[in-house]
Amino acid sequence: MMFRANPTWSLTIAALKMWFRDRQAIFWSLFLPLLLMVIFGILNFGSFGSVELGIVDGAENDASRQLVAGLEAIDTLDITLDGTEAQERQALADSDRDLVLLIPPGFGDTAEASAVSVLYNQGSPQESQVAEAIIRQLLDEMTFNLTETPRRFSLDIHAVVTRNLRYVDFLMPGIVAMAIMQMGLFSVAFAFVQLKSRGILRRLMATPVHPVSFLFSQVFTRLTVSILQTLVLIGTALILFDVQIAGNLAAILLLALIGGAVFVSMGFAVSGWAKTEEVAAPLANVIALPMMFLSGVFFPRDAMPEAIQKITDFLPLTYLADALRNIAIDGEVLWSQWQNLTGLGVWLAISFLVAVRLFRWE
Amino acid sequence: MSSPPSDSNKIIEVIDLHKNYGSLRAVDGVSFSVAAGEVFGILGPNGAGKTTTVEILEGMRPPDGGIARINGVDVQEDPRGVKAVIGIQLQSSTFFDNLNLNEILELFASLYHRRADTQAILSQVELEDKAKSRFKVLSGGQQQRFSIAAALVNDPLVLFLDEPTTGLDPQARHHMWELIREFKEEGRTILLTTHYMEEAEELCDRVAIMDHGRIVSLDRPDNLIDGLLSKGFKKERLEKLANLEDVFLDLTGHALREE
Repeated sequence: MMFRANPTWSLTIAALKMWFRDRQAIFWSLFLPLLLMVIFGILNFGSFGSVELGIVDGAENDASRQLVAGLEAIDTLDITLDGTEAQERQALADSDRDLVLLIPPGFGDTAEASAVSVLYNQGSPQESQVAEAIIRQLLDEMTFNLTETPRRFSLDIHAVVTRNLRYVDFLMPGIVAMAIMQMGLFSVAFAFVQLKSRGILRRLMATPVHPVSFLFSQVFTRLTVSILQTLVLIGTALILFDVQIAGNLAAILLLALIGGAVFVSMGFAVSGWAKTEEVAAPLANVIALPMMFLSGVFFPRDAMPEAIQKITDFLPLTYLADALRNIAIDGEVLWSQWQNLTGLGVWLAISFLVAVRLFRWE
Repeated sequence: MSSPPSDSNKIIEVIDLHKNYGSLRAVDGVSFSVAAGEVFGILGPNGAGKTTTVEILEGMRPPDGGIARINGVDVQEDPRGVKAVIGIQLQSSTFFDNLNLNEILELFASLYHRRADTQAILSQVELEDKAKSRFKVLSGGQQQRFSIAAALVNDPLVLFLDEPTTGLDPQARHHMWELIREFKEEGRTILLTTHYMEEAEELCDRVAIMDHGRIVSLDRPDNLIDGLLSKGFKKERLEKLANLEDVFLDLTGHALREE
């Protein structure tokens, strides 16, 4: 063998070997995020689904059939026709309908306006609005046709094919950010508390190795893993969901490294503070769990109350997830993310200082 | 005190060592020296200051006062220089879970900028067939022996053994004693701490007995016993020519059992 034994190099190789043989680490850092992305991607949570419309046709005449046929021709509407008014009202109350349309007896028979009633579910305002607009338009159309008024205006709607964002497109960058957080925080916190409590760190320090060599090997390994996680998750999203990566891959990987550095530092801070694994686990969870749900990993933060949005703006995972999303999906360039990058930089500085203050070799 | 090492071959030299923890004087003016090739024992009840003394010599803990030199290198000035020439077996230390024994030894050798003949080291501690095993699957005796193997990767001048036979069955203990005698024959200096007086009597050329941070006596085991007898000490009951351990070994044999 030609190579001269170099402690930093050997420690790094050993740390990588150990990481890839650690089933727990693989499960939490790679397998679980992958599983979450695939499940949520297939379920397609949060997407705008079809509108559930119940119709009670009290007229059953030409005019009402014309209206129903007009509505049935529209894809977005999922129509139920055979219920009574009482049944449909109940379905609405049970949230099985977004909207119920009541067509009165004698609809369109007289010259006076026939009032159709629309009952809508307050719990699904978006769906109701869409359906309401469609019904209004159809009624206008029928009025025009009946009165044979010449049309003075017309509305041409052109669908422009833009990037059709699906839920999985939103989800993928969030999962990448979450995976990096989990890996950095948990794998460092657990590994170091264990190395300390079992005397392995002490045994290493009984050799002439420089502590910095050892720290380097540990940090290097985890940053390598953060790159790997990003590539695996993006690769899977490409193959399974045909997610289009609009931005620059190098910029995405650079963000993964920066995010990795932030959460690895947090992991060191936790392992410095916690003396045992029993303390490290809940502490790491207290940091990670709220961020997982508050940082817009699974759902857009727009849905949260204003006040909470304001706070979650400043979470490190928010900065990372937003920057990754803006670059990967919206195709923005790295420097346009300077605000998110600054946020990550501040968190890196804070975590690093806390880690240096709290970290102990014994 | 008889047969102190001559100045020329003092490999360990300790002069008026002090270490305090708050108001506790853990090490309170300890001086001794060890000749190259000697097996030197440090005995004492728990809290006597043995561990702190040894840790200072290993370069793991800086002293508050006094001088300690190993092979002429001051432990406070150059702890890593000291660590390079010594081998340390720590009491109940463990090793990485996800590396096998061979990989751990290669890693440790590299920390000394060396490449070690890991197979030869494993054979010396009779773990040659465990090269691909993980540390955690080893028996207690095997773990102790591997811990010593890891201390041999840099071919050390001085071996520090911290209670190397604690928790071992009689067969494994006798086997460990054989191993320690082998290291002595290879010319290594050994600094041993133990709670077993029989072990110290069996292995050590000289022993220092510590209490309350001081060395209360230092001599060859024979001389210490003779000194006590000369003061008119008599055991209440005369020992028989054999003890229960001899009976045990006669019944169960000397072969190692852990596999």
